[in-house]
Formats: sequence, structure tokens, C-alpha cells
Amino acid sequence: MAYDLSFARDVYKHSEMGHWIKMCMQCGVCAGSCPLGPHWEHSPRQLFQLVRAGKKEEVLKSSSMWMCTSCYNCIVRCPRHLPITHIVHGLARYASEQGMVDPKQPTHRFAKEIFWKNITATGRVAEMLLTMRLYFADGLAQGIKNGLEMQAQALGMLKTGRLMPLPFRSKIKGYAGFRAMLDKAQELEAKHKESKA
Amino acid sequence: MEKKIGCYICSGCGIGEALDVDALVKIATKEQKLPLVKKHEFLCGPEGVELIRNDMSTSGVNAVLLAACSPRVKVDEFRLGTSLLDRVNLREQAVWSLEVKEGDDTAEEDRQMMAEDNLRMGCVKIKKMNPPEPFQDPSFSKDILVVGGGMAGMTTALEIAETGYKAILVEQSGQLGGMVARMHKVSPSKPPYQHLQENPVAALAAKVEGHANIVVHKNATIAKTIGAPGLFDVSIQNGGHVSQVRVGSIVVATGFTPYDASKLDHLGQGTSPDVITSLEFEEMAKAGQIVRKSDGKPAKRVAFSLCAGSRDKNHLEYCSAACCTYSLKQALYVKEQYADASTYILYQEIRTPGQMEDFYRKVQDEGGIFIKGDIQKVAVGTAGGLSVQVNDKLLRSSETLAVDLLVLATGMKPNVDTVDPNNPSPVGVAAGAEVKHVLNLEYRQGPSLPELKWGFPDSHFICFPYETRRTGIYTAGPARRPMGIAASMTDATGAALKAIQAVESVARGAAVHPRAGDLSYPSFRQEGCTQCKRCTEECPFGAINEDAKGNPLFNPTRCRRCGTCMGACPQKIISFANYSVDMIGAMLKEVEIPEEDAEKPRILIFACENDSYPALDAMAREGGKISPYVRIIPLRCLGSMNLVWIADAMSTGFDGVLLMGCRHGEDYQCHNVRGSALAEIRLSKVSETLNRLQLESDRVKMVEINIMDSHKLPGIINSFVAEIQKLPANPYKEF
Amino acid sequence: MTDGNTARRTILVVGGGISGLTAAVEAAEVGYEVILVEKEPQLGGRVSQHNKYFPKLCSPTCGLEINFQRIRNNSRIQVYTLAEVETISGTAGNYQVAIRRNPRFVNEKCTGCGDCSQACTTEVDNPFNFGLNKVKAIRNAHVMAYPSQYFMDPLFAKTDEAKKLVKICPVGAIEPDQQAMTLNVQVASIVWATGWTPYNAEKIRPYGFGRYANVTTNMRFERMSSVHGPNQGAIVRPSDNKEVRNIAFIQCAGSRDHNYLPFCSRICCLASMKQATYVREQYPDAKITIYYIDLRAMDRYEAFLQKVMADPGIRWIKSKPSRIDEDKELNPIVIGEDTLTGQRYQETYDMVVLATGMEPNCTTEKVPAAGVEVDAYGFVVNAGGGIIGTGCSLSPVDVATSVQSGTAAALKAIQTAVKGG
Repeated sequence: MAYDLSFARDVYKHSEMGHWIKMCMQCGVCAGSCPLGPHWEHSPRQLFQLVRAGKKEEVLKSSSMWMCTSCYNCIVRCPRHLPITHIVHGLARYASEQGMVDPKQPTHRFAKEIFWKNITATGRVAEMLLTMRLYFADGLAQGIKNGLEMQAQALGMLKTGRLMPLPFRSKIKGYAGFRAMLDKAQELEAKHKESKA
Repeated sequence: MEKKIGCYICSGCGIGEALDVDALVKIATKEQKLPLVKKHEFLCGPEGVELIRNDMSTSGVNAVLLAACSPRVKVDEFRLGTSLLDRVNLREQAVWSLEVKEGDDTAEEDRQMMAEDNLRMGCVKIKKMNPPEPFQDPSFSKDILVVGGGMAGMTTALEIAETGYKAILVEQSGQLGGMVARMHKVSPSKPPYQHLQENPVAALAAKVEGHANIVVHKNATIAKTIGAPGLFDVSIQNGGHVSQVRVGSIVVATGFTPYDASKLDHLGQGTSPDVITSLEFEEMAKAGQIVRKSDGKPAKRVAFSLCAGSRDKNHLEYCSAACCTYSLKQALYVKEQYADASTYILYQEIRTPGQMEDFYRKVQDEGGIFIKGDIQKVAVGTAGGLSVQVNDKLLRSSETLAVDLLVLATGMKPNVDTVDPNNPSPVGVAAGAEVKHVLNLEYRQGPSLPELKWGFPDSHFICFPYETRRTGIYTAGPARRPMGIAASMTDATGAALKAIQAVESVARGAAVHPRAGDLSYPSFRQEGCTQCKRCTEECPFGAINEDAKGNPLFNPTRCRRCGTCMGACPQKIISFANYSVDMIGAMLKEVEIPEEDAEKPRILIFACENDSYPALDAMAREGGKISPYVRIIPLRCLGSMNLVWIADAMSTGFDGVLLMGCRHGEDYQCHNVRGSALAEIRLSKVSETLNRLQLESDRVKMVEINIMDSHKLPGIINSFVAEIQKLPANPYKEF
Repeated sequence: MTDGNTARRTILVVGGGISGLTAAVEAAEVGYEVILVEKEPQLGGRVSQHNKYFPKLCSPTCGLEINFQRIRNNSRIQVYTLAEVETISGTAGNYQVAIRRNPRFVNEKCTGCGDCSQACTTEVDNPFNFGLNKVKAIRNAHVMAYPSQYFMDPLFAKTDEAKKLVKICPVGAIEPDQQAMTLNVQVASIVWATGWTPYNAEKIRPYGFGRYANVTTNMRFERMSSVHGPNQGAIVRPSDNKEVRNIAFIQCAGSRDHNYLPFCSRICCLASMKQATYVREQYPDAKITIYYIDLRAMDRYEAFLQKVMADPGIRWIKSKPSRIDEDKELNPIVIGEDTLTGQRYQETYDMVVLATGMEPNCTTEKVPAAGVEVDAYGFVVNAGGGIIGTGCSLSPVDVATSVQSGTAAALKAIQTAVKGG
């Protein structure tokens, strides 16, 4: 049965800013405002209607929310003042929490596996390591291919000092404090989740 | 009192330069023998007006003929306190509308001839004009009948009563409140336009029943309505008892009946007891528990199907206006009762105009789900309730919803009997079915109100929505047009004003819209009547009844003074004190017709004074130029055009006649509804007259003129003149 | 006006548009004295700027002329144009009102002969046509204007040319030194009918009005389509006066939108449908596209929607466009998502008309009296009392509803007069 509201209510409650989805009037402004528009599977408007229709699989497995670059065009133009950027990020996170994201979803994988580990290790991004992890995520052959493709850019970045050649970097000053902040944030989030559930 | 005419000719605004004003003075004095003729260089200025006023107070002038500018300007200046006033249009017509090059003697002569003819026509007109005596009757009533005791009717009655007039409210059921009394709550009408409001019926009914100026008749219907504004005699039937009241005007506020849901099989009606109408849902909510009708279990999942029978060419073609907001309100009932309610609005377009957009947002905020689509199938669900299959247009898929109730937002059918004025059989009623008459008018034109469309009574529905074709009878609320509660209350307040205005106008002997304030009305020279019934048939407002022999029985207070009856009468027995067949006939005969070899044809134009005449003025202002051969006579309405004038024009020697009237047919613009349409019908018979005179039928033509057609008028008029010039001159010139 | 008995039967109507005109005429025809105040030099308000009315496609001038006729024939109505209400004091049944009468610079002697306008060499942007063309600095707003008395632009009145024109007038009607004056009146009740202003489309940045030559608004389009408009009614592209073969109308431009006007302006859907018929009349082959969220053709107007929908040359796209771009030929490009197909579009037009909504004038010109409630959008809320809002002062409404509302307001004003507050 469609339009069973249990999924929608979950989203309203547990996904960041999810309750705003109720307010969408399906005008379509968001879709045309998005610079990534042609690459989305579902426009925000479509995602929202699918949420209301209870199409959990379709929503949470959609690639759409992983495409958002946070340009905020949609928020600015939405006639109902829906915080679309935030709702979409919220849905991405919700999909991740629900374990519904395709493991090959590149943005998800990059964010969750590669970027997070990289930055939290030292408090700053180690570009070379980050790049290598990303390029070689799908195996050696693909990694070499990726690397060759991007050779020119890499050399350029090296020349201008935008890419540290070493695969590791020293920790930032006051790393302990940074770590403590992360731990506290994670603790708060866990508590928050508990209280919601 | 003997009429003493003063004629004043203005030479300002270029009139003096263009025309030989002394020659005009001579015509008025010598030829037309007016006792007092003066010229002035600035007649509308303080000295000019003073000159006239002085003559009126010292020389006994009591009828004034002004030969100056258009009668549409300088009206305040020339408000001279006499009803015998006429204006000869020299400036706009005989000066501005004509092309005269310097030194062109012929053109100058033509211009002078037009001015002289205009003046002659004015002289004849003022001579033939008598002061209208208002029709007044000591037995006029200022009480007002309101039919229908729902929100619209109660509001009308209360507003009338609060203004100090007596209202007689007739309700067919045993209690006041109508449809709204059956409702739980009402939609928001005040900021923040989000919250349901308490049902106002009980409080309003108490006010109405307790009001000293309101008499309420319950369980009552109108057995018969005879008479006319000011003099309506209404028989109120209450069971076996009939009482008589005299009222001055009537408001019909009989509301609506929800569209018959049994015709809505395609929306699942009849599938299950859980498919109900919005009215049934109201009653359920009012009674307390929102439950499945099938098994009494809580109905937490409710779908509302909008446009149920509305916007549908197989059912009601119009939008019923209130159903969107009404269903939104009902979605909130479910939410009020069950925190975990699921409500679905199945819609085509959400129509929440104005601030009601806030209410739409409120319902979304409360979790209401909006699905744009059509119901494809309704079946009984496996666990009871219903499964509703919808063609979901936004998801582009067919989706099935499990709901406990499906509520059909049925539309509104007006509770008023109407009749197609062109085909007088009751509308919307199957052959043989009994028609329920609201007023049972004893009118020659039948017991019902004329229909506009879809069973709604006629109104001039953009600019003058309250005007019906039955003078002094107004409609309000959903009986007039589909509308919700707040709109009905405003509408009822306006209708109350119109009803009060009608009784006050009648008391003064004055017409109501569109010739508001006009004191003239037609008199019938009965001895000349041949019982042809044309006047009774053609009066757009049903002002004329007939006696058994077919003689017209005229009701002055029903009359709108358009003169359609006068135009219809072949015997010329119908005349106003200041407007008659004889008067216009005499005017056109006064035009000097040049001899055939002068090669100056004469074309007569009858122009409707509501649209065509203002357009002619505008043309003059804009510099449009027309042939100097035309002579223009304004008419109250083209409906007052009597064919005898065409014959008169032809026998006088006019070479052609052009009739300018308003758009008719569907989307008519004629302020008297049928005037220009009737003129066209009459004109179709004119070839007969022309044949009798052995004249070409092309000599007479009718054109539809819109008030904004000023730029087209030179083309229309001049090409008609050119066509006429191609014909041989009217042979009757010689006679 | 100071006579107590007359004052008790006098109603002040503020605003001479269709709502105010109706209220004034209806009250006067019951038998009450009416003072009608209008800030423009002529009556008629917004409706007089419309080319045609929906759904009959007839001219507003037709109905206005009947109303002017009713005013001309009724000595109970006193009209003050170029006038504004400055202050209101007192209570229901007994208000003291100060009316500012701005100078017209042409007095009552004016015969409307037009000599001054002909002689005048100074031209100004024509406010009646939203500045789309130029007009003489001394003039009549339009050929059907009531009253027909001429007026002069205030800035022009200060010039030497204005002084020279004094001698042109054969009746001595021109007075460039005229000053504003205040008129104090006593009235029983007040009908507030100050109407609306088209929403300033420049604020809708993504649509580029004001930046793109061929993006215009619905009210400007009314003037462009009118025979008294800038091109005598020929609908052409503003940038190059070329004919229009492919035109789009965008609904809810500013309405139903929390960024601009959160309410629905009610009339814009029907207005665009009407304007589509203007295009069709002039261009039998033109492509017309209407972008909408919901088509709001209430009650009997549904028939008009069906009539316009029968035109196969009109595309209806359920979408609120996201933005408009412009190409090198100054063609507007409309970008958005068709919500019924899910497809994104990017369509090039000759011209785009924004169906902008109604901003209540009460937001900028507040009722100068205590105790008048307004809602969050600036619309008056009638809650009893002797100052009665009507028409678009209450809600965005169409002409017929304005007439209903004006008629109802006339009665409420009369009731206040009857009861003395």
C-alpha cells in the first residue's frame, strides 16, 4: 500500500529537518535551481513526494542526496522556505544510518571511509594519502588508471604547493583538544539518537 | 405650468470659429420659434451658468436647451434644477469629428449643416419633452422578504434588520441554519487563517429569532408572489395556513443542494458504506466519532476526493468553489480526533485563493498528504475499510491507498428554479418531474427566474453581479453562484443593500440600475393596443403582464426604463414623458434633406447611449474624423429602436440608417440584457419595410460597437457612408 | 459638510477603483451622502488599466461608464480626485477627517478642449502605461477618464513652460501656482477601498524582470494589449518591436511564495488565460505556454479555463520555473522542472510575461486611524466599527467579488450612519 505514513513519519522525526518535507507543494522550483540537476536521479521535490508516498527503498537508495554541493540555490528560491539543502543532507545521513546506501555510492564512501579517517588522524587533510585511497578504492588496476588520468593536475598542484607529496602529515597543534571535541560531538550525537528513539 | 424654453448656444472650445453661431441662433429663433435664444462664449463658465440661472429665475425659463458640448461632460455645471434639459452636441460632433481644411467652402458648409440639424433635432426634442412624474403609490411597502434560512438568508435578514428595515424570513424547514447547521466547524475567515472556527449558525439564528425587525416563518414556502417592487404580495404557506404579506423587495437565498452522489459510481459511490459524501462526513464529525460506517472502527485514515462531480462535463461543469477549503477543514477534524491520523487530499488543482493559502499550509503542517490524481478504482479492503487506486500524476504511477473512509467532496447545485429566457422550460429538470418553485412568480414570463447558465439565475456577473432580470428580486449566496460561507455572508450583506436600495428607489419613484434615479416610465395608450404581445414578450425584465385578452398590464416599479417595449410596439402606443416614438420620429424628420442633385447624402445613426455614444465622444477627442453626412441620435438602448423610425427615415429622404448597439448573445454586454439582440431581430424584418418602399435593404445596417471601439468608428461609419453613396439616392427625397 | 444632520448621513469612501466606486454609488442610491476620495487624477483605479475583463473579454470601460453615469446623475456624490486622507479622528458615527487635496494645476473651468496639451512640448513617462511610452506633461490620463478635467504633472508645474501655457487656455483654467489644501469633513462612517499595487517584479531576482528586456509583467501586458497602450494594442517584443511567435506566461510570480507574497493573488491564473486570448487574436499561429502550480479558475470561471484549454496552441506546464536566462538575441530562456513528467526543461521564448500578484496598498499607505486591524500581509480585517475595508483592501479578489464586497461595505457604512456608531 502506498502512502503508508510510517516511513514519512520516521523521516519527519529522525532525519535532520525532515519534518519540513510535509510543507512541499510540489512546485518544482528546486529541481531547476540545482546546478547538478541533470545528474540527479530524483529532484528534491520528487524525493519529498516519494517520502510521503512511503517509498522507502526508492528514497534511501537514491543517489540524489549524495549529489548536493550545498550551493543553497534551492533554499533561496523555495517558495515554502523549505531548508532543502539541509533536508537533503539529512536524508543522506538517514540513509547511511539505516544502512541503505549502496556501498559503491562514491560520495558516501569518500565521506565516510576515506575523508573522515584521513582528517581525524591528524586534524588536517593529507592530500596524497586521500587521493591514493580514493583512486585505489576499486583495486590496483583502476587506481593506476585513475592516477594516470589525473597526472597533469597532480603535477600542477605539486608545482604550486597545493599537494603535499608525502602520504602522511604531522598532527596539528593541540590535536588532543581537536580529538576531545570530536569525541564529545559523537557522544552528544549518540545521546540525541537515543533520546529520539 | 407652461413650458418656456431657453436655448443657449456656446461659442467656446472652437465652436465659434468653426460654426456660424448667429445662423444657429436664427434657426432656433426664426425657424424653430423658441422664445428665448442666447449665445455665449463660455457657457459652462460661471458667467454662462449664471446667465441661464438668471433667465430661469427672472424670465420664467423652465426648459433648457444647451447647444455646446457632449451631454457626458460638464454635467455638474449644468445641474440647473429642471428635468427639462437637453444638450445638443456641437463640439464633439459638429466640430471635432469633422475634417475641414481651411478655405474648403463645401466642407465648411457641410459642417454648418450638421450643426444646424443637430440643433433642429434638439429643438424638437425639448419641445416634445415633458417632465416625468414619478410613479408613487401610498401602499408601497419597504419591508423585505428573504427566502431561505441558511447562512446567506439569515445574514441577509439580519443586515436588513440592523439597518432599520423589517425583514420577513421564510424557511422551508423547521429550523434556521440550512446546510451550515449540519456542519461541525467552519474554515478560518480571520487571521492567521489557520484555525477552525466554531460553527456560527446557532449564534446567528438566535440573533435572527430575537430581532425585533425580523419575522421568521418556519416550515413555510412561498405559494405565490404577485405584484412588483414596492407592491409584492406574497402568499406564505405554512402547512394548510396561508398568510399574506406585502413587501417591497425580495432576496432569494435558498442555498444549494449537494450534487447527487449516486451519480458518482466512478468515484466508488456505492462500493461500501465507507464511501460517504462530505456532508455525511460533517454530520459524523458533528455527532462526535469519526468512524468507519461499515464496522464502527475508528477512521484514522481518511481520503478526500475533490471535484466529486464538479469540473466534469458529465456532471457539474463548473467548479463548486468551496470544496477545496471544505475538505481541508475536514482533514483537520480527523487530525483533531486522532493524533496519528493519515489524511489524503486527492485533487486536480488545489484552489485556496487569497489568504486561504495559509490554511492549505496549515493542513500540510498537520500532516495532510496531497495527491494529484484521479480515482481509478475503489474496492473494499482486505482488513475492512477501502483500497483506493489513484492515478498519481506527480509520481507518474498508479498507487493504491488503504483508507478507512473515502469522502466525496460533492459540488453545489443551486436551490432555485430558473428558466432559459430563450426557451422557457425549466432547467435541470427531467421531463415530467415536478419543479419546486421558490417564488412562484405570477409573471407573464413564468414563475421562475431567468437563467444565466447551469441553473444559476442571470446576473450581469462581472460589473453588476446583483442585477437579475426581475427587478427588486435579488439572489445571494450559493443560489446565485457557488461560494463558501464567508463569501456568502459578504454576498448576503450586499444583497441586503440592493434590496434596501430597491425599496428606497421605488419610494422615490425612481429606477434602479442601470438607469438609476430615472423618474420617467412608459405609459400605454391602451385603446391603440392590438394585443400583439410583443411588449410583454420582449421586456427583458418581465415588467409587463397581460390580461386575459392579451392587453399589456404594465408594472412601473418593475421597469428599468430601457424603452424596449416602446421599440417593440408596432402601434406606437408606449411612450415616456421625455422619450417617445413620436419624439425621435419628429427629430429625424426635422433634419434638412438636401435635394438629390446636391449629392449630399444623409445617413442616420442610432447610437446606444451606454457604449456607442461614449465611443463617439472618445473618437472626437482622439481626432477621429467622420463623414459630415451623418446625423446621430442617441437612444436609451438599441432595444428602444422602433422600426417605424426606419420607415420614417426612409420616407424623409435619408439614404441610409446605421444602428450601433452593444454586443449581444452569449457574453452579452447590453446593460438591458436583450436590447441590442432584439434590435437585430427587428432589423431582420426591416427588409420587408424597405421592399414596401422599394428600397435596397443594404441601406440599413446594424453594427456591434464596444465602448473602446473609438478608433474603429471612422472606418465603420465612413465605409457605410461610402456604401450608401454607391447606391442611387433615396428617391423619397423628392417628396 | 458641517451641518450635523448631513454629516450623520455622510459616508466617506476612500479609493475610486471598482470597489470604492461601487460602495459610493450603491450607498448614494440608497439615499446617503457620499464623499469619494481618489488619489489619482481620475476614477477607475486598477480596472481602468485593464484591456479586457475575464471571462467575457469585454472592456472595463463599459461598466465604468455606467458607474460614472450614475455618479453624474447623482448629486449626492461629491468626488475629490488627487486627494488623500491624512488623518481620521473621532469614533464610529462621528469621524473628523482631514483630506489633503493635491493641486491639479487646472481648475474646474477646464472644458477638456485639449489646447494646452497640444501646445505643451514637455513629455514625461506615462504612468498610466507604466512608463512604456511618453505623454504630455499636461493631459488627461486617457480618453475615457472621468472627470475629464485635465491635470498637470507637479514637477512640470514649476517650469517656465507651465507658466506660458496659462495664456494658451482660452478659459483661464491653468493655475501652475495652485497649492495643496486640506479639507476637513465630518462623516458617519468610512469605507476603505484603496486597492492594490502590482507586486514589484524586480524583487523576483531569478526571473530577471528589469534586467531582461523581453520579460514583462501581466499589468504591463494589459497596457501593451490596449488600443490606448504604447503600440495602439499591437503585441510586440519590447526589445525590438518584432512580432511574438512564442510566448510564455509564468504564474505565481511573487505570489504563494514566502520570499515575496505568501498569499495567492487569486486573479493571476485567469488573467494569464485572458492574455493568452489577446495573443491568439493577434497571432493565430503563436505558441503559448502557461507555467502554473495550480490553475485557480474558481466557480463559474472554470468555463473560461475550459474555453482557453480548447486552444491547441497553448501548452500547460505544471511547474514553477526556477529562473530565467537570456540569450544573445535577448530571448528569455525559462528553466525548471515539469512536475508531471519529471523532466527538466530549458525553453527559449520571444517574450515572457510574469503573472505578478497584488500587494495591498494598506501596507504602504496605512489607514490613518486607531483600531483598524490588519493581517500579516497588510490586508484590513473587518471586525466591526465604522471604518470598513472592502475589495482588495481585504483580500486579493476579482472584479465581481470587489463589486460584491463594495456593495456589502456600503451597507455596513449605512448601518453605522443609522445607528450613529
